Parts: sequence; C-alpha cells; structure tokens
Amino acid sequence: MTQTTAKRWIVQGLVIAFACIFMLPFIIMLVTSLKSMAEIQSPAFQLLPRSFLFSNYAEAMSQGNWPRYFLNSVTVTTITVGIGIIIMSVAGFAFARLNFAGRDLLFLLSLVGLMIPEQVIMIPVFMKIKGIPFAGGNDVWGDGGTGWLNTYWGLIVPHLAHPFGMFLFRQFFLGFPKELDEAAKVDGCSRLRSFFSMYIPLSLPIFATVALLKTINNWNQYTWPLIITNSDEMKTVQLALSMFKSEAGLQWNYIMASTTLIALPMLLLFIFLQKYYVQGIVTSGVKG
Amino acid sequence: MSSKTLLRKNHFKDPVAYLLIAPFYLLFLYFIFIPAVEVVMYSFTDFNMFAPKHFIGLQNYMKLLKDDVFLKSVKNTLIYLVCTIVPTMALGMLTAVVMNIKWVRTKAARTLVFTPYIVSMVAVSMVWMLLYDPSHGILNRILQSLGMSPKEWLLDPKWALFSIIMMSIWKGIGYNMIIFLAGLQGIPQDYYEAADVDGAGKWHQFLHITIPSLAPATFFLFVTGIIASFNVFEQVNVMTAGGPVNSTTTVVHQIYLRAFTEFKMGYASAQSVVLLLGVVLITLINMKFGASKHKA
Repeated sequence: MTQTTAKRWIVQGLVIAFACIFMLPFIIMLVTSLKSMAEIQSPAFQLLPRSFLFSNYAEAMSQGNWPRYFLNSVTVTTITVGIGIIIMSVAGFAFARLNFAGRDLLFLLSLVGLMIPEQVIMIPVFMKIKGIPFAGGNDVWGDGGTGWLNTYWGLIVPHLAHPFGMFLFRQFFLGFPKELDEAAKVDGCSRLRSFFSMYIPLSLPIFATVALLKTINNWNQYTWPLIITNSDEMKTVQLALSMFKSEAGLQWNYIMASTTLIALPMLLLFIFLQKYYVQGIVTSGVKG
Repeated sequence: MSSKTLLRKNHFKDPVAYLLIAPFYLLFLYFIFIPAVEVVMYSFTDFNMFAPKHFIGLQNYMKLLKDDVFLKSVKNTLIYLVCTIVPTMALGMLTAVVMNIKWVRTKAARTLVFTPYIVSMVAVSMVWMLLYDPSHGILNRILQSLGMSPKEWLLDPKWALFSIIMMSIWKGIGYNMIIFLAGLQGIPQDYYEAADVDGAGKWHQFLHITIPSLAPATFFLFVTGIIASFNVFEQVNVMTAGGPVNSTTTVVHQIYLRAFTEFKMGYASAQSVVLLLGVVLITLINMKFGASKHKA
C-alpha cells in the first residue's frame, strides 16, 4: 500500500517537473523582465535576478506610447466582443428557434463561411475597408480616400460576426425543449420577450464561453491590425510589441516586461474562467 | 394537436427572424462570403491598387509556377506542416493520457500545459526570440554547458525554419491535449474493466481501446492542424520576417508581402486562391471521411 503511494508521489512529482520545464519560456520571460541589461548580457548565467528590478516595467511602458496601445486594444476588444455577442446570439436564436422561409439555405451558406480562413480573404476585406463610402475622405462610391483604414471602425467591424460564435449559440439554444416556446406562447409572451426573459438568463454559460473565446482571440490578434493600421497611435498592443525595439539594440528586459503585461490579462481571464473556455474549445472540436 | 401540425402551422410565422439574423448575415456576406468570391475574381486581373484593373486570364497563375520565392514558400509551408503536426499530436496525446490518470494531481499541470495556447503568438514569439538569442539566449547557454557549439538559431538558413517549428510545437501541445482529454473522458470505463477481466495488459488496452476510441479526435486535430499550417504567418513575420534568404517564408507571408508592401493585389490574390484550394480540398476530404466522428 505504502509502496503504491510512494510510486504515485513520484509520478506526480515527475508530472509537475515536466510541466515546469514546459513553462521554462515563461519563467525566462518573467525573470528577464526583472534583470538589468548588464546582467542579461553577462556570460555568467543565473536564473534568478541579482536584484529584482520592478522599475523595468515602468520604464518599458514609458518607451513608446504604451498607454495608448493598451487603450486601443481594450477599446477594440471590448466593443468587438460586446456588440459581436449581441449580433451572434440573436442570430443563433433565430436559426435555432424560429421558422422562416429560407432558413435552412441561409444557415447552410453560413456553414461555408467556416471554411474560409481569414488569411485567404485579407486582400478583398482590406479593399472593402478602404472603400467604405463617405468615410476617410471617400465619395459615395468609396473612392478617393482611405475609408476605415487606420481607424477603430476598421479594426472592429470585420470581426463582429463570425459563423463560429453563431453556431455555438445555435447549438446551445437547440437544447431547450420545444415545450418552453409553446408555454411562453400560450402565456402570450412574444418571441423576442421570451428570448430576453427566458433564454438569456438560462444561457449565461454559453454567453461566457463565446465572450471569453472572442476576447482572447481579439486581444491576441496581430495580422489584421498589421495590415490596416499605419500610424503609431492606432497600434494595438500585439502590433506594438512586435515592433518594440529601441535604439540600443534589443533591450530584452523591457521587451519581456511588455510581453508579460500583454499576456497577463488573458492568462488571468483564462485561469478564472477556465471551465467556460475549455468548454468552447471542446464543443468546437469534438461535438462538431 | 400533434407537434408536427403545430410546426406546420407555425411555418413562415416569424418574420421577426429576418430582423434578428440581418446584422449577422449582412456582416457575414460583406466581410466573409463576398470577399471569398472577390479574391477569385482579383486573381485573374492585374489589380495593383493604383491603376484600373484588367482581366489577364491565367497570367498570374503562370507566373506563380515560375516564381522561385513562391515555390520556396510552398515548400516551407509543407515542411512546417509535416514537422509540426505529427509531434504536436503525439505529444498532445501523451500528455492527455498522463493527465487523465485519476490519481495524478493534474489541474495545475493541465493549466500550465495549456498556457502557451492562450498567450498570443506575438508574445510567445518574442519570448522564443530571447531563448534563441545567439549570445545570451538560454538555448545556446545550455548547448555550451554541454560542450556543444552555439547556433545562430534564427539567423542560420539551415536552422531558422526548424527553430520556428520547435516553438510552434510547444505552443500547440496544450490545444491537442485538451481535445484528446475530451476524447479520453468519453471512453466508457467498462471497456477497460472488461479488458482487465480478460487479462489484457495496459499497453494492450492502450493500443486496442484508447487509440481506436480517440480516432475522431485524432482526425479532427489532423484536419484542423493542416488548415492551421497552411495559414502560418504570425510567428514567421515576427521572428524572422521570412529570412534569412527566404528560408522561413510561407505562403501567407508571400501573400502579405506581395499585397501589402508591393500592392500587387492581383498576383497575391492568385496565391490566396492556391491556399483556398488547399483548404477546400482538405475540408472536402474531411466531409467524406470525417462523417464517422458523429458515430463515436
């Protein structure tokens, strides 16, 4: 008996040890963010910093316009997720619960959208954003100006609605018993009212799941901001980090401090809401 | 009244539905569906943003066949695909199996393994650039302490793509683990109990129960892994910008360069169509053979 216990302790120890080796890149990130540049360059390597320079964080944030980059990322992510959730949940509800002509065809067409990777269509989407009428000096035909390039609109609008989020909502709403609708109808409750007063309160987990998936995706986004922004003040944190180099070469301590700061918010969200996030991943993967 | 007649009676009854799907559907059409059609149309033109575009037939595609850098990017993308998918899935499955053992205390370890997947590609790319740093990165310090010569990881054409691949495997294991774990938890315990009664060993059980039961998850990860590999871009652009001497450039990186630094939108669209064809092909194969996953 004690032998099995000992064996189990050893295996548990090994698992934790492997997990720690796996985390080595992040450990290096953290310790480097607290070292001085002289220490990083010194040939005598030490894992822990000789003195913990928390001031690196403030100094890193003062190189470049980091408060502005964070503001951009927070604004874009919040608005995209907030409005996106509303748009996708009501559509998911309609596809799951309402009868209307052409429903199945329209739904099938949006299935096709799941297949199309963002990278394949980035050129036409870029042209669409550039050609928004009456925006950025454009005329009614969308010519002459820059449209929504280099604006919050351009960062937000193309990512509001994705078939994937709508599907997750639809799947969830399909699970409600039909009798619920009928009972609501008998009580004289309109479809919309039943959505707001019955479906939403019973669906908070799926709202949390989609919101979390979308928040992390949006915060981590790099390619789209890279393509459509061109001024320093429109940079998001990911874009700013990827371009973060100072005159004095690569200042790894500042770079790692910034990296930690842009990774941390999503990590905390994930740690506290892990259940919802993993549910979304698993639903998309295993249940189709 | 049976539910069927009730349904028929309710048919066409909810015009409010159009109002509810309109914002989603218009955005979907405008920013996903129509662009997918347009990218095909652009690919037959000499569109360059500054002059009116003309129809030029298959010229862009003919040019692609002779474009050494593009062909190199296709080759790199395929190397990346093969070299990431297999190790990521194998390690993901192994981790999942260990994490699924009841008495292993796994919650913390599981979270740790999943962490790289949550952190942005830009952030992990920066971290790995530090690990790969030729003079003060930890990888070279380890090599040196083992008496081996240091490497110019991301600066050496022989090693650069491999360096990106190693990082991508590390980042992808957590996702594979979660999908495999879900698959493992769906296997009824009776299977193993019956096998125990029959005297089948653990290894035998793994080969004949676990592996076949994980087939749907494996197939899903394989297909999504291929599609994700087709689209590899972020780590390439951040870590090496396609260099040195195009040794890490990928198809999407070529599309990005042609379209958004040289503004050859027509030519880059032809490259996008090549990519789209690959994705559609994989998806069709998935539809044909993936149907079995619903049985499991």
